[in-house]
Amino acid sequence: MKPIDAVKPWFSSRVTRWLDRRLPAINQISLHRKNIFILPTGPGLLFLVATTLIFVTAINYVLSLAFGLAFLMVSLFILSILHTFRNLQHLSLRGVGAAPVFVGEDAAFVVLLARQANCVHEMLELRFPPNAWSQADVLDNEQERVKVFLPSTRRGLLQAPRLTVQTRFPLGLFRAWSNVDLAMSCLVYPRPLAGPLPGLVGGSTSGKSESVRSGVEDFHGLRAYQAGDSLKQIAWKNLARGQGLKVKQFVDSVDDQMMLDWEMFPGMDHEERLSRLCYWVLTLAQQDIDYGLRLPGLVLSLGRGDAHRTKLLSALALWQGAAN
Amino acid sequence: MIDRQAQIPRLTIWWLLGALTLVVAPHILRLPIWISALIVACVVWRILIFNGRMGFPNKFLKILIVFLALPLTVVEYRGTGAGLDAAVSLLILGTIFKLLEMRERREMLIVVSLCYVLTMVGFIYSQTIIAALHALVTFVVITGALVTLQRDNSRSSLNNNGKLALLLVAQAIPLAIVLFVLVPRVAPLWTMPVPVSSNKTGVTDEMSPGNISRLSRSAELAFRVSFENDAPSQDQLYWRGLVLDFFDGRTWRRAGSSFQTYEMIERFQNQLQGVGQGQAVGYDVILEPTQQSWIYALQLADFDTADILQDRYYTLHTDKPVTQRFRYQMRSFLNNTTDTTLASVMRARALQLPEEEGNPSSHQLAERLRAESTSDLDYANSVMRYFREQPFFYTLTPPQLSEASIDDFLFNSRQGFCEHYASSFVYLMRAAGVPARVVVGYQGGEINPFEGYTMVYQYNAHAWAEIWLEGQGWVRMDPTAAVAPERISLGVQAVLGDQPGFLEDSRFSMMRFRNTEWLNTLRLRLDAMDYAWNRWVVSYDEDLQLQLLEAIFGDKAKQALLLALGVSFSLFFAIAAFFLLGGRKRDRRDQATRVYLRLVADLAEIGLKRRLGEGPLDFAARVGQLRPDIAVDMTRITELYVRMSYAADMQEESFGQLREFALALRLRLSSPWRRLVLRSIPALRG
Repeated sequence: MKPIDAVKPWFSSRVTRWLDRRLPAINQISLHRKNIFILPTGPGLLFLVATTLIFVTAINYVLSLAFGLAFLMVSLFILSILHTFRNLQHLSLRGVGAAPVFVGEDAAFVVLLARQANCVHEMLELRFPPNAWSQADVLDNEQERVKVFLPSTRRGLLQAPRLTVQTRFPLGLFRAWSNVDLAMSCLVYPRPLAGPLPGLVGGSTSGKSESVRSGVEDFHGLRAYQAGDSLKQIAWKNLARGQGLKVKQFVDSVDDQMMLDWEMFPGMDHEERLSRLCYWVLTLAQQDIDYGLRLPGLVLSLGRGDAHRTKLLSALALWQGAAN
Repeated sequence: MIDRQAQIPRLTIWWLLGALTLVVAPHILRLPIWISALIVACVVWRILIFNGRMGFPNKFLKILIVFLALPLTVVEYRGTGAGLDAAVSLLILGTIFKLLEMRERREMLIVVSLCYVLTMVGFIYSQTIIAALHALVTFVVITGALVTLQRDNSRSSLNNNGKLALLLVAQAIPLAIVLFVLVPRVAPLWTMPVPVSSNKTGVTDEMSPGNISRLSRSAELAFRVSFENDAPSQDQLYWRGLVLDFFDGRTWRRAGSSFQTYEMIERFQNQLQGVGQGQAVGYDVILEPTQQSWIYALQLADFDTADILQDRYYTLHTDKPVTQRFRYQMRSFLNNTTDTTLASVMRARALQLPEEEGNPSSHQLAERLRAESTSDLDYANSVMRYFREQPFFYTLTPPQLSEASIDDFLFNSRQGFCEHYASSFVYLMRAAGVPARVVVGYQGGEINPFEGYTMVYQYNAHAWAEIWLEGQGWVRMDPTAAVAPERISLGVQAVLGDQPGFLEDSRFSMMRFRNTEWLNTLRLRLDAMDYAWNRWVVSYDEDLQLQLLEAIFGDKAKQALLLALGVSFSLFFAIAAFFLLGGRKRDRRDQATRVYLRLVADLAEIGLKRRLGEGPLDFAARVGQLRPDIAVDMTRITELYVRMSYAADMQEESFGQLREFALALRLRLSSPWRRLVLRSIPALRG
């Protein structure tokens, strides 16, 4: 382990804390002297190396015009600080947020870039490090929308980290940047996982009036106990009669309606159940039926339509298993 | 998503090709032909790659090219001593190869940097005004290439990028000038190879018949002199170059040349016994490159710099050949005595004659005239009289002389240029036992009426004599003056202007049209410009820097330098930052007021003054009555302004309209000059 590695976490946590103080999370921010940072880039340093070479040659050959050239380059270098800085100055950023995504997809955070009159911003680059850059210009219109992508790995509310906005325009000798926290978040639904409803007894899911689905409303019959079945559903009377460990099965009678239940996927872990429920929410949303969702500690009654679907998916995304 | 940083915008290729073409162009004729051909081939190939007609060179080919070009370049320059030329060729080749194979942004940045360096390389060979302008254009194009590398959007067009690059460079120039003037100049850190040219120009260290007269064919500039006070008269402008004291019967050479190293001269420095009398003449010389290591000055020269050494002949030397324009300051005592006692070795040299006796008649003449004279000086004067009274002719095209050149000239042809007269005069002196030597250099010069400096051309090349007299030391004798006195008093062009052969090698020189007045004026003007450029820019150095600062700060100049640098640098940065970054952003209402007040100020200038306490609407009504032609515009503008400032209409559109209308009206009311100013300085528009 190199000594630097020992310092790194300490250092980066210091930087984060410093940034949090200096640039607190805020939905809208305008960039100015106090929140723009600027440093030379690699090409900028290369430019300086060339300048130094020219300067040393000018000294050694006593070339007045080469001195002039070196000074012109120094001057250009210095001016490019101002130009690059100017390209970011007075730019305001507003976090619009991101449409919900399923786990594994890239969340597209929309950032609204607005300019002031007389200011233009060219070749802006935005990203959530270390992901890819999105490029934007704010030239003719007063404001522009730019999507900045962030991969989602977990179900739930994805808090956008600090957004880096930078520019190297016009010469690439300097990089001006700011790390802003626009307090954006994105809802991440579980990854939909296709599969049958294993708790279903008889009939097919596509059947309408006669079909039944496992549920809790009506007693349907008994089946053998499987690991993970709820204790509430064990047929204690049958057990007492020495008929072995049986589980009472309930179904919801389906008449153009369907209640999805946590208990429909016995034996699976939480995330998998949520994934399968998610799949079924999406599937049912495309069919002309009412559907609802029952999770431990949470019941979402029957309904249909986009808003209903979103409500169910959000519940799946945010379910914390509080009831158990 | 693609990593933008690795890609190359297509436009950049064109900019880089343009930059490279500009950067290499001045070298292309100087480079060996095969390198030039290779450069052109590589550029064409790159264009074909760009058009998709050809692929990139593969690895094998790249290695082959590099391994062929490298040794070939070394072989090409081997033995020429031109280490610098070889290095420059390699640098150019390297850049071109990189251009050919570049695919990535990083590689392009390297090419860009190399282009900047190559721009500087051009200055090693030429620092004229033209070279500077060329470099400036090149600089803009290279910077444009940098811009295209960064700009990868709808705005990236030839026009836009060019404008931006031009703007950036234009803004950088003022600071560059400040740095140029104020950054302390340092002495060279280590010695560098210098560009070698075999074209030695000007007076050489040998003189045989025809040598000097050949120079009269050339209208090229030898050097320019500006005197602190008035220039001395023409007949005093004897610019001494070298002393030639060894004669082999045909050619004069330097006796000590074979062993006279710079170190030797250095050793004799403190043995010099020249004494100047009276007021010294101060002057400043800019010598054109001669590729020789001696320089020209009036006798008896005195100077402060350690870069120049004076040898025992009182001629001046530099430690390496003058390969670039060389500037030096001198003081000369036109009244002087040198070597009142003559060292034996110098006396021997000054009396040396060819061993085999080839010119018997000359010896007889010398003996006869010496016998008739009372002193050495009297003898010298009688020889001068001999030249004046006998039918000698001053001509550029003398007949060929036989083996016994002195006899042939003195008694037979009697036509010659200055070298004939100087040579035979010194011969006659030595034959009579008077120490004498030939001096070569330039005589006279043309005064530029615009800047008051003196221009000395190659056709001013001259040879004369010096004789040593007991009690007086070395005395200048110019036998040419005896033959053609107007050569000295009026200048060579006055005497030879009509002769065939004069300025023959400068067929297209403007000097040939000196009788056409406007062309002559143009020639003198251009020369004055070039001179000022050289004096103030190309030879701007530590001394000049100090002089300039002394003029401003007095004796504290040295201390003031860094302070002045710091202050002007910060000031410049502050101004640039103010204009680029702006102060606090005003809100729309402030801006609207400002736009309106600017218009009111303009109206006041044409006599429409707003009264104290007069509201905008009343004022507009009054203006409308006085000037019905602008009534409509005035009303429209005032309405917009009132709406913005009182009704709090903060619409961007209203402000834009207000600004546009106000500017249009102001432009209509302004004088043409002011209109131009308004158009070009956005800050004034409100």
